[in-house]
Parts: sequence; structure tokens; C-alpha cells
Amino acid sequence: MNVLETMKKCIREALPDLDMVMGWEQGFDTLHATPLFMETAEDVDRLILGPTCVQSLAVHLPSLKGKKIGVVVKGCDSRAVVQLLSENLLNRENLVIFGFGCDGVVSLSRLKKKLGALDFIESAEKKDDRLCIEINGEQQDLPFDDICAPKCLTCSRPNAIISDHFAGPQRTPRIPAKGKTALEKFEEKSLPERFDFWKAQMQRCVRCYACRDSCPMCVCRDHCVAVSRNPHFVSQEATASENFMFQLIHVMHLAGRCVSCGECERACPMDIPLGLLRAKSTEVTSALFNQEAGLDQEAVLPLLSFNIEEETIEEHD
Amino acid sequence: MHIGVFVCHCGSNISGTVDCPQTAKAAGEFPDVVYSTDEMYTCSEPGQESIIRAIKEHNLDGVVVASCSPRMHEATFRRTVERAGLNPYMFEMANIREHVSWVGRDKALNTRKAIDLIGMAVAKLRNGTPLFSERFNVTRKLMVIGGGVAGIQAALDAADSGIEVVLVERETTIGGKMAKLDKTFPTIDCSSCVLGPKMVEVAQHPKITLYAASEVDNVSGYVGNFTVQVRKRAVYVDWDACTGCGLCTEKCPSRKTPDPFNELIATTTAINIPFPQAIPKKATINPDYCLQLTKGKCGVCAKVCPVGCIDFEQQDKIEEVQVGAIVVATGYDLFDYSVYKQYGAGKLPDVITSLQYERLLNASGPTGGHVLRPSDGAEPKHVVFIQCVGSRDKSKGRAYCSSFCCMYTAKQAILTKSHLPDSQSYVFYMDIRSPGKGYDEFTRRTQELYGAQYIRGRVSSIHQHGSSLVVRGADTLAGMQVEIKADLVVLAVGIEPSRNSQKLAATLHISADTDGFFMEGHPKLKPVETNTAGVFLAGCCQGPRDIPTSVSMGSAAAAKAMVLFSNEQLESDPQVATVNATRCVGCYKCVKTCPFGAILESEDRWKNPKAEVLPTICKGCGICSVTCPHGAIQLNHFTDNQLLAEVNAICPLPTI
Ligand SMILES: Cc1cc2nc3c(=O)[nH]c(=O)nc-3n(C[C@H](O)[C@H](O)[C@H](O)COP(=O)(O)OP(=O)(O)OC[C@H]3O[C@@H](n4cnc5c(N)ncnc54)[C@H](O)[C@@H]3O)c2cc1C
Ligand code: SF4
Ligand code: SF4
Ligand code: SF4
Ligand code: SF4
Repeated sequence: MNVLETMKKCIREALPDLDMVMGWEQGFDTLHATPLFMETAEDVDRLILGPTCVQSLAVHLPSLKGKKIGVVVKGCDSRAVVQLLSENLLNRENLVIFGFGCDGVVSLSRLKKKLGALDFIESAEKKDDRLCIEINGEQQDLPFDDICAPKCLTCSRPNAIISDHFAGPQRTPRIPAKGKTALEKFEEKSLPERFDFWKAQMQRCVRCYACRDSCPMCVCRDHCVAVSRNPHFVSQEATASENFMFQLIHVMHLAGRCVSCGECERACPMDIPLGLLRAKSTEVTSALFNQEAGLDQEAVLPLLSFNIEEETIEEHD
Repeated sequence: MHIGVFVCHCGSNISGTVDCPQTAKAAGEFPDVVYSTDEMYTCSEPGQESIIRAIKEHNLDGVVVASCSPRMHEATFRRTVERAGLNPYMFEMANIREHVSWVGRDKALNTRKAIDLIGMAVAKLRNGTPLFSERFNVTRKLMVIGGGVAGIQAALDAADSGIEVVLVERETTIGGKMAKLDKTFPTIDCSSCVLGPKMVEVAQHPKITLYAASEVDNVSGYVGNFTVQVRKRAVYVDWDACTGCGLCTEKCPSRKTPDPFNELIATTTAINIPFPQAIPKKATINPDYCLQLTKGKCGVCAKVCPVGCIDFEQQDKIEEVQVGAIVVATGYDLFDYSVYKQYGAGKLPDVITSLQYERLLNASGPTGGHVLRPSDGAEPKHVVFIQCVGSRDKSKGRAYCSSFCCMYTAKQAILTKSHLPDSQSYVFYMDIRSPGKGYDEFTRRTQELYGAQYIRGRVSSIHQHGSSLVVRGADTLAGMQVEIKADLVVLAVGIEPSRNSQKLAATLHISADTDGFFMEGHPKLKPVETNTAGVFLAGCCQGPRDIPTSVSMGSAAAAKAMVLFSNEQLESDPQVATVNATRCVGCYKCVKTCPFGAILESEDRWKNPKAEVLPTICKGCGICSVTCPHGAIQLNHFTDNQLLAEVNAICPLPTI
């Protein structure tokens, strides 16, 4: 049995005890997948697993707290589940996790840069380390690394780190590429250059909140300070400074919690490199507290606890 | 709103470097400000009256005073506006003294900064709301932690005024260091003769409950209503039955047990009563040396005890006590001088600490008050005293002066002469610090009448040479090196906060200074208060001080508790966190970060999880409000909107 069939079998067996299982199904073409909410055995037939299953389904979990839910997770998605569990935002007893080893997912925005508009897709299939795609009647054969999500290039945890059922083989983690990270390269620029860069990026933000809504760790939902009047942190004006304020609020609220899933950047319709900001905050928090989010369900989160003295911070001389 | 701004000159303290009239004029331009003026002393009677008049005349509903630190006069001005009929929280203070006039010299820049700070205060006030306190009952019971002379004084004074007192002492007897001393300066009266009666009074006082061999494990609650968990250590003797007859200590075969009461210069028995005047006078078994408890065979004490009170099975017991206020009087310990290699690093038997020397001088000490040196029990002829061992020495991390060592060294030199008339004492000192009534006369007498030789300089080395010690040092007044053959060397070892003080500070939510001594509320005006309401300080736990000052502090702390207990009810501080239940998503992040456990995991009517703040426990630190991602929990009087308004007042939005 291949991975998909094994997974379907697991889900069919577990489904009777659950309200719903979340996975992916094919969207309007073979390059696009969309979330699938399986309630009956027939629904399970439509499940797919593969390089188009980009969305993290963990984002839906907190709002379903109280229901008995199953969720299919890639390695990166599973970290969000772990983080949500460690923050007590989910009940482990009500959750069944279906994990598998992920082979990388496509980045539509990188693909778009290579191929132009992605309107008429006949087929898209991953064959070893290439993506074969028939677009506008033409056959394209692209190295997968050129069009995958950037996070996949350095993915150290392709296998779900938490699961009740694991389908298929374990994948080997990618060895982090030598050379500088995107953040390191960016930080070589001078401060004014960096500020100008962000100013320009923030001028483009349309404040659609897709970044926030796709973030599995953004659990305030309707109460987000970005839209509240009391407290009134930001206005609804879409100026660069207000947009920037909103982004920094997101970064601060995610400090020590961001699981680097890249969902915010993926969801952004304006292709703003939000990952850079998140990478910076992760760098700072892991240096300060020697801890990475979403790896340990039992972890006491540094910014969600109170210590008189922090072990890793020298407060007195 | 109608806001009035009052800019204070503070004599010349502020007006010296801030243009107050111009500041007041500029303040008049801020939104909602309808009246602004400058005053010579706003806190004075006429100053306060002019605020009240302005409130009436200009129909003000909010007041900003630009003056000193709120820690100085916020309460004063809150009462002022309240007298004029305003809510006391419709008042803001801009600190233009400590934050402006005292820290900058440029008048133009200072004036600009003062105006900015007032702008912030006005912006904050415009977003403020009236707040109301709640009233709650007070438990009229005082806990004193530490039964040294300071704690004893506090307990007795409070008990004499009719307050129930619980005295918690870590050791098996109260008395602290003073109980170990022989005579005390500057009168050379016998320490136990002065302290003894007070200790007995503690034991007999109907209002005092004594928990010896006990420590405070945990404190929860708030001023007026603390719940304290006291751990009564296992002493393996039923103290209710023990009569203190001491038969057990005579028969105990384990005679090599270290004797902390005698500062480890003598040994004692595994079951022991520290000294004849101990309070409580009860026997205690040291479990590390008791043969029954370590090897499982002996039990001699159990056989000889006439009342059968030995209990080898005894366990620690936790008792919960409700009190309304706490006096901390945990005193000090001696610094570990073994870091000083030049003084033999604790390895030379005839180099001893000052406290060990007190025991040698003391008639109830191990030598019966004969000065006999530890190595061979011989009477010393030449005694060298070295002052400032672990005091005023930055290289050892002890920059501070231990305050009483100059005086007790002089005392010990006098006592040496009276115990051993043929002896000669030498004192190496840095400076003689004797500011106190009769103190300087005392140190002079030591030199002039008792012939102690004072040498100004440090000792560079002490070596064993046969049966004596060779002390080398500098005489900086004579400008030469000196070498003294000594039979005994006494180190005036500096003091440090009592062990585990850090932990106790955390338990009590009080702070400590960089040296670890507990922090007073204000160095001048609140010397026995802490910044935690209802917790007071007495004695050496706050800093080095001698007996008279420790006793005064004990009385002062008791007086503060009496003032507190003179109220039937107290008013709670309304500057606490409140949860906006419609916004709270029940993630309980705030519950995890609150350092005071003031937030409950609660539910609303529909069983949705919601956070709930216990206003009496909340200290208003604001950690919860920075934790809550969407501002559902706000600190009254410091709401996000108030703080954002302040920020926007000094940083108008850039146009990018
Ligand atoms: C050698 C020497 C000679 C001195 N001679 C003189 C003199 O002649 N005249 C003079 O005025 N001063 C003298 N002093 C100073 C004097 O000892 C102090 O001023 C005085 O003892 C301070 O009293 P206290 O109650 O603050 O502290 P302490 O005497 O240290 O008492 C503190 C008490 O608290 C207890 N305790 C500590 N921690 C806890 C805890 N966590 N829980 C419960 N209990 C606790 C301790 O066991 C102790 O009983 C001398 C000091 C030394 C070292
Ligand atoms: S901030 Fe972005 S990368 Fe971080 S957890 Fe949220 S969506 Fe994922
Ligand atoms: S998804 Fe992109 S455009 Fe939308 S709010 Fe976020 S950063 Fe702005
Ligand atoms: S952090 Fe905010 S949302 Fe979460 S429980 Fe506390 S008040 Fe409610
Ligand atoms: S302000 Fe918040 S965190 Fe601070 S004590 Fe009050 S409830 Fe706890």
C-alpha cells in the first residue's frame, strides 16, 4: 500500500470516533490543493497527500476546541500542533494526529516567477526531484528545489514530530545549506537601507490580514488588537507606518511562539517577505532563552512564565 | 475635559534649571488644559489650597502636577484633589525634578523636556477614568520572622499593645547573635543579662506564640490578610512534653557533634540544648550525628528521658497561619573569610573569627570564660585583631562597611586585658569608625586605658611559626613594615545577609539591594517599610547595624504594624488589572505569567473559559497586560490606551 492508501485506511478506521478529520483534496486544478473536512468514509476518498498540500491545517484547530478532531500533518504543521498543545490551546485527548513524512511542497509564488501566470494547468506531478507540469499546453520539467517553498530547502523536520498514526516511510531531513541565511544576507545591509526596504514593503501591504489569519498561532481571532478600538494600537489607515506597527505587533505576539511554518509569507497576496521579520525574532528569542517553539509539548515557554532571574540573561554585574 | 496644570518650582530645585513660568504657559496650550500656573511649593499648604481653589473656579475635572517623583508626593496630591471633590485617580504627576532639573543643566533643553513630560501626563489623564477602592477586613495578628534582638523587640512591643504575635525562628532558640556575645559595647554590660529577661518575656507573654526550629515556606495573600505556611522542622523530641531537664544530653554517647551555637569551636552531643538560657529550653536531636537515626542503634536518650518525649519518627510539619502584617528580622551571618589566603584561609587553628572569640570570652562558652586558644588550650599573651576582613574590600565583592566591627574589636581588646592582665593586644585597622553616643570615648579608652596598640594598615600574611603565629603587615602611619609574634589572631569578619535571604525575599515579594540586604521603602522616609504593603524590616537584615539601632528598628516596625492594625478595614488599591470578559479568549497566558498568582482560570455564565483577577492579590505590576496578545486584560490607571496616548504625545506619528 502506498502512503496515501495507508493514510486513508488509518483515517477510515478512526473516523467513527471523531467529529471530523482535516486533510487536503485537489482544488480547481492539480497544482492547487484545498482543505478537506472529512466526516464520512466517502469524504476520505478525496484525500490527497503531496507537494501541493501547502496549507497548515493546524490553524483551524483552536476554534474547534471541544470537538473530537483528527488532523493530517506534515513535519512543519506538527510543530504548530505541539506549540498549541504546550500553550493549552488544544486538548490532547480530543485530538487524533495523522502524520507522514513530507517530501517538500511547492511555492506558487516561486513557480509564478518562473512560469508567469499559472492559469491553465493540465497536470502537475512530482517525479523524484523534479516537478513535471503541463501548462498552457506546454510540458515543463523543473528542478523541485527551484520551485519549492523556501522553508523546505532547509527543512530539518520533514516527519511529523507528534502523531497517533504515521503513514509511509520517514523522510531524511535536509542538511542545512552552507552559506548565509536570507536573514544574515539581509542584515549585511546598512540600517537605513534596511529601513527603506521595509518602508517600501509596508507601503505595498493592503492590510488584508491573510498573514494573521493563516498563522496557526494567532488565536485571538475576532479580538485581534489590529482591529480593536479599545485598546487602540493601530488605526485602519493603510499607511506604511500603521502597517508596520501591525506587522511588529504580530512579530511581538509570536516572539518565542512562532514555529517558522512560513504560512504568513505564503498567504500574503503581495509577496511581502514576512519570514525575514519572523526569522529575526526567532533568532533573538532562541539566543535569549535557548529554546525553540513547537518542539516540546511539556516545555515551559520562556515568555509565558515568570522568573525572577532568567538563567540565560545576565541582569546584574 | 477641563484640566488644570500646576508647575512646581520646588524652591530652586526645579526652577534653577527649568523655566517654570514658560513651562506653565506652554502647558496651557495642550488639548483640554483650561488652566495652568506655576507655584513655589505646590506640596505646601498654600500650594494645595491653590489647587483646590482652581478646581472650584475653573470647574476642573482633572489635575496634573509637574513636580517631584510620584513616590514623594503622589499620595499627597491625590488627597488634595479628593478634598476638592475629584476622584483621586483623575490626577497625574509629571516628574520634572528627578527626571529633569536634577539630571540636566541646560535650561532650554530642560524646559523643553519638562513641557514634553507634562504633555504626556495630560494625554494620559485625558484617557483616564475615575477608580474606586474596595474595603476589606484586617487580620489583627503580626508575624515576626527571626528571633534576634530586633525580632524580639518587635514581638514584645506589638504584643504589649495587645496584638497577637507569631514569632518564627529558624534555630532551636531565639536570641540571635546577641545571645552568643559576652559583653556589649559601649557599656560593657553582660549581653545575656540584658537579653535574657526579654527572651523569658517572649516565652511567657500570653500574646506571643513561638515557633522555633521553624521557617516560612510560603506566603500568599496581601496586606491585612496574609496566609503563611510555616514549616516546623523535625526535632525528634516532643517539645510539648520536654521539660528541658537535660538528662538526655548528659547520657548521649555521640559527643563529637558540631556545636553551631559555639561557632564550631567546640563539640556537643547529638541531642542538645544550645545554652542554659535557651528559649524555648527544649532538647533537639541533630539527625546527622544521632546514632539511632544514622545507624539505627542507640536510643539512650529515649531510655533516660523521664517524660518519654523522644520521637525518632518525627517529621517536618507544615502549619498555616493567618496574619495581617509581617516583620522581617532575619539578621546576618558572618562572611566566609576562607577566601583570604593571607589570613590562612581558615586553616590555622589559632586564627579565629570575632564571634568565636566572643564564645571564648563568655562564661557560658566552651572554656567557661577563660581565654584559651584552640590549638593547645594555652593562654595567649599577644593577641592580634584584624579589622575589615570582608568589609570595605571591593576585590572580594564587599564594598560596604559592616558598621559595628570597629566597636566590638575595641570591646574585645578591653575584655582581653581584663581577662588576661599580662596580655598585649594589637589592632590592625583601616579607619576607626565610632560615631555614636559614647562610642569614640570608648575606642579612645581601649587605647589609652587598656593599652591596646592600634596600627593603621593591612596585614599581608599570617604564618604558623612553631606554636605561635607571625603576623606581617604595614604600619602606614609610621611608613614601615611590622611583624608581630602572636599567640592568637582574631578576625573582625564582615557580615552578610542571613543565608537563604534571597529565597525569603522572593517568598515575601520584597526586594534586596546589590549586597543582598532587604530594601527599605525609602532610604530616608521609610526605613522600616518595604515596597510590599504590610511587610516591615528590623535589624541587620536591612543592613549592618548595632544592637541599639536594631532594637529601635524593632520598635519602629512594631509601631508600623500597630498603625496598620488601628484600622478595622483597609482600602484596596484600585490600580489593579481587570479583564474585559468579552475580549478574553481564555488562553490563560496571563495566569502563567502573573508573578503573584493573582489570576484565576475562571468561566463565564456560558462556561466559556475566562481569566479573573483577584483585585486584593494583584500588585498592579502589569505583566499580564503585556502578555495578553489582544489587550483583554488591562491595568487600571495604566491602560494600553493611556500608555499609547503618552507615546503619541512625545512621538507624533511619522509620515512614512
Ligand atoms: C563579634 C560580634 C560582636 C558584637 N558585639 C556587639 C556589641 O557589643 N554591641 C552591639 O551593639 N552590637 C554588637 N554586635 C552586633 C549585633 O550582633 C547585632 O547588632 C545584632 O545581633 C543584630 O540583631 P538582629 O536581630 O538584627 O540579627 P541576629 O542577631 O542575626 O538575629 C537574626 C535571627 O533571625 C533568625 N533567622 C535568620 N533567618 C531566618 C529565617 N529565614 N527564618 C526564621 N528565622 C531566621 C536567626 O536564626 C537569628 O536568630 C556584635 C556583632 C558581632 C559579630
Ligand atoms: S508567524 Fe508566520 S511563520 Fe510564524 S507561526 Fe505564524 S504563520 Fe507560521
Ligand atoms: S498578508 Fe501581506 S498584505 Fe495581507 S496584511 Fe499580511 S503583510 Fe499585509
Ligand atoms: S491572556 Fe488575555 S485572552 Fe488570555 S486568558 Fe488572559 S486576559 Fe484572557
Ligand atoms: S497586574 Fe496582572 S500580572 Fe501583575 S499582579 Fe496584577 S494580575 Fe498579576
